[in-house]
Amino acid sequence: MKNFDAPRAAAIRQKAAAAASCQVITLPSGLTVLCRTMPGYSTVHAMYAADFGAVTRNFTLDGRPVSLPAGTAHFLEHKMFESDQGDAFDLYAKTGASANAFTGYDRTCYIFSATGGFDENLDILLGMVGHPYFTEATIAKEQGIIGQEIKMYEDSPDWRLLTALFRCLYRQHPIRDDIAGTVQSIATLTPEILYDCTTAFYRPGNMVLSVAGNIAPEQVLRACQRAGLDEPAPAHTVSWQFLPEDGPIPQKEATFTMPVTKPCFALGYREAPLPRGDARQEILCDILPELICGGMTTLYRRLYDESLVNPDFGGDTVAPRGCCCIAFTGESAQPRKVAELLRQEIDRLRREGVDEELFTLVKNQMYGELLADLECVEDAAAQMAGAQLKGRSLASEIETLAALTVEDANKALQTMLREENSAYVQIDPQ
Amino acid sequence: MERKKLAEGVFITTLDAEKFNRCRIAIHLRYTPLRQSATDAAVLPLVLERGNAACPDMTQLSRTLARLYGADLGVDLGAAGCDRVLSADICGIKDQFALAGENLSAEYADLVFGTVFEPYLVDGRFDPEAVAIEKETLARRLQSEFNDKRRYCVRQARRRFYGDSPAGIELGGYLKELPAVTPATLKAEYDRILATAAIDVMVQGADADRVADKLLERLQTVNRAPQPLSPLMAMPRTAPQRYTERVPALTQAKLCMLFTRGNTAEIPTLATLRLAMGVFGGTVTSRLFRNVREKQSLCYYCGSTALRATGVMMVDSGVEPGGEARAEQAILKELQSLQTALVTPEELEDCRRALLSGFDAVYDTLAGTESWYYQQITRDEALAPPEYEKVLTQAVTRRQVQQVLQGYSYSVCYAVTATEGEGEAADEKL
Repeated sequence: MKNFDAPRAAAIRQKAAAAASCQVITLPSGLTVLCRTMPGYSTVHAMYAADFGAVTRNFTLDGRPVSLPAGTAHFLEHKMFESDQGDAFDLYAKTGASANAFTGYDRTCYIFSATGGFDENLDILLGMVGHPYFTEATIAKEQGIIGQEIKMYEDSPDWRLLTALFRCLYRQHPIRDDIAGTVQSIATLTPEILYDCTTAFYRPGNMVLSVAGNIAPEQVLRACQRAGLDEPAPAHTVSWQFLPEDGPIPQKEATFTMPVTKPCFALGYREAPLPRGDARQEILCDILPELICGGMTTLYRRLYDESLVNPDFGGDTVAPRGCCCIAFTGESAQPRKVAELLRQEIDRLRREGVDEELFTLVKNQMYGELLADLECVEDAAAQMAGAQLKGRSLASEIETLAALTVEDANKALQTMLREENSAYVQIDPQ
Repeated sequence: MERKKLAEGVFITTLDAEKFNRCRIAIHLRYTPLRQSATDAAVLPLVLERGNAACPDMTQLSRTLARLYGADLGVDLGAAGCDRVLSADICGIKDQFALAGENLSAEYADLVFGTVFEPYLVDGRFDPEAVAIEKETLARRLQSEFNDKRRYCVRQARRRFYGDSPAGIELGGYLKELPAVTPATLKAEYDRILATAAIDVMVQGADADRVADKLLERLQTVNRAPQPLSPLMAMPRTAPQRYTERVPALTQAKLCMLFTRGNTAEIPTLATLRLAMGVFGGTVTSRLFRNVREKQSLCYYCGSTALRATGVMMVDSGVEPGGEARAEQAILKELQSLQTALVTPEELEDCRRALLSGFDAVYDTLAGTESWYYQQITRDEALAPPEYEKVLTQAVTRRQVQQVLQGYSYSVCYAVTATEGEGEAADEKL
């Protein structure tokens, strides 16, 4: 942040941390409830999130090993909208709420936004996720729709690029597989497999209910009570872990063709998995790409002015459990030249250190973005749930960001973004 | 909310932003596009966004925005019916969160007005270097349209539908005309826009009087001659035209169907049009979602939208290659069904509830609030809060919805699909 008197900075940081605060309640069932009351807003956004995503593929449930085909978490997400009473979308239609769901590498989230009928909408949300209902027939019907979704992703150069990069960087981590799986993998799903997943991962102790907007915590807690979430839940023993991947990169390079007009490329680095609850390392992972090729860097300026990249070129971090990858992606007529310039810039920063002013500006920018997220009900609920699933809070993220120094970035560069841990993928026009 | 006239064709609108962490200032210049300068108009926002007379350097501007805690400055060209809207907006945290007590909102106004009124010029023209770079950027953007097959299909359909009509002028410009864009032609288009546009400034959470003063100061140097804006239009009815484009190795085909109202004699109200789209294909309870996607599994996405100003309705969907004809017939059957019989009361009420809930949420984001009022300005309507639209929406009948849908006739179908033999049976091809 800017350099000025420390007490004033601390006071304003405290104000910002207060702006990021929310009520946190853990119920006897094990469910964590987060509620951020936002005066003056009409909307309530609720996110019911399970700590279960595409990368959870092998686990033991009460001592019994269970193996999941690729795409199970995503398939389950689609199926949770159905019950023996019908479709949850029909129930939401009666309240006027807008509902959806999505699956990531490490989480599955069910959401609604509404400006009224909050009790009814919370009952629908907690009911649909709490009462799974699967039959052979409904699974077969969903396989057709999800098959179409999978095909849509197969035509996306961005998506294909990332999947290919993960396959280069990881030998066995499930991030190698597409979140939605394949038509073949989801064809093997049965009601029994899906019930195993809900028993293991949709138990209250593995979930977060995050609500933001025009609502008080008491109203959310009453909904939890109606759903039986204030009672202890049946105990199950669930364990799963990822084997560490610290050997050589399985494949340094991959190229393939698609119907695109210009080559697309990804330069990725395999990093040590992030320790759970450690915001510091994750924020560093987010800052490094900005310091290397963000909009304020000389490298970006050169790449842009020489027409080597499009404005959407940049670096990003993907870090579900058991893996962490920093990927630089873009579209370029000279992709290998861009990758080489990136490598040179990383080496230079490692040798010469990061410009302190740039580091401060990047921190300023991230601070502003955190505050921006908190004024939107959807982002607030999502950010709160995301932090909780990672074992921390939004307020602690702001404090961690404020405490980071340029020395932290320079130290990180000595061990991260190493050439021996990198891979390169290129898509050429057909 | 308050709208004040500052000069001929220049207005300022102040909107409440008390509950937000950020403030926002936007300036919109609405003008009639010309076919011959469409590519200049498309390059213009890219050049303006790079910097201004006070800060000509793009990287320095990025750093200035980061110093302002990640303030977001954007310049964009959009469409409002047949007109174009050149917009510049800035959004950043309020003064109270500034760590060094800076007067951020004053800087925001200087930046956004500097971008529009004080561009960086060299000998009275735009900077040749900046123009050359941004022509390349636009060229890459236009070339990459093909990478996103959904967007590509929609644009190809629009090109066939509008032909040489003013509504068909490409928002993104024309690749083959880029070489003719020069610093001088760009300046001429800029001057034309500045002179003829209807100018609206929207202020949220900043000192509106100070913003008005700064705006009037800049306008003193501009020769203004505001011109009348484009009237509503509709393409004439024709027999359906079908086009198929084959792309090797495409996994999911795209289908875009366009319908016209044929004339501007009976333009539906916005409330009726919204409900008509809701029941046909705009919501998860719509006929297209329920029947074409869920029951028949013919596509992963299938939705409808309509534009009142140009009398067009669009249905776009992602379908199995080879299944385009079947999907097309299923979509037409749903439309016909709604044209010949009244929608059920339950379906209409489901859509109505979703719309009413959406109106209540308008004030929950800065951009949503601004868009609500600026859309009314572009329609030359008296400004009214969402509550007014709720009353109008409540009054819409099933018969009115049917009449709106009866007004559309099928005009263009564009399919982007796999090459022969890569999809389903050949006899299902269009």
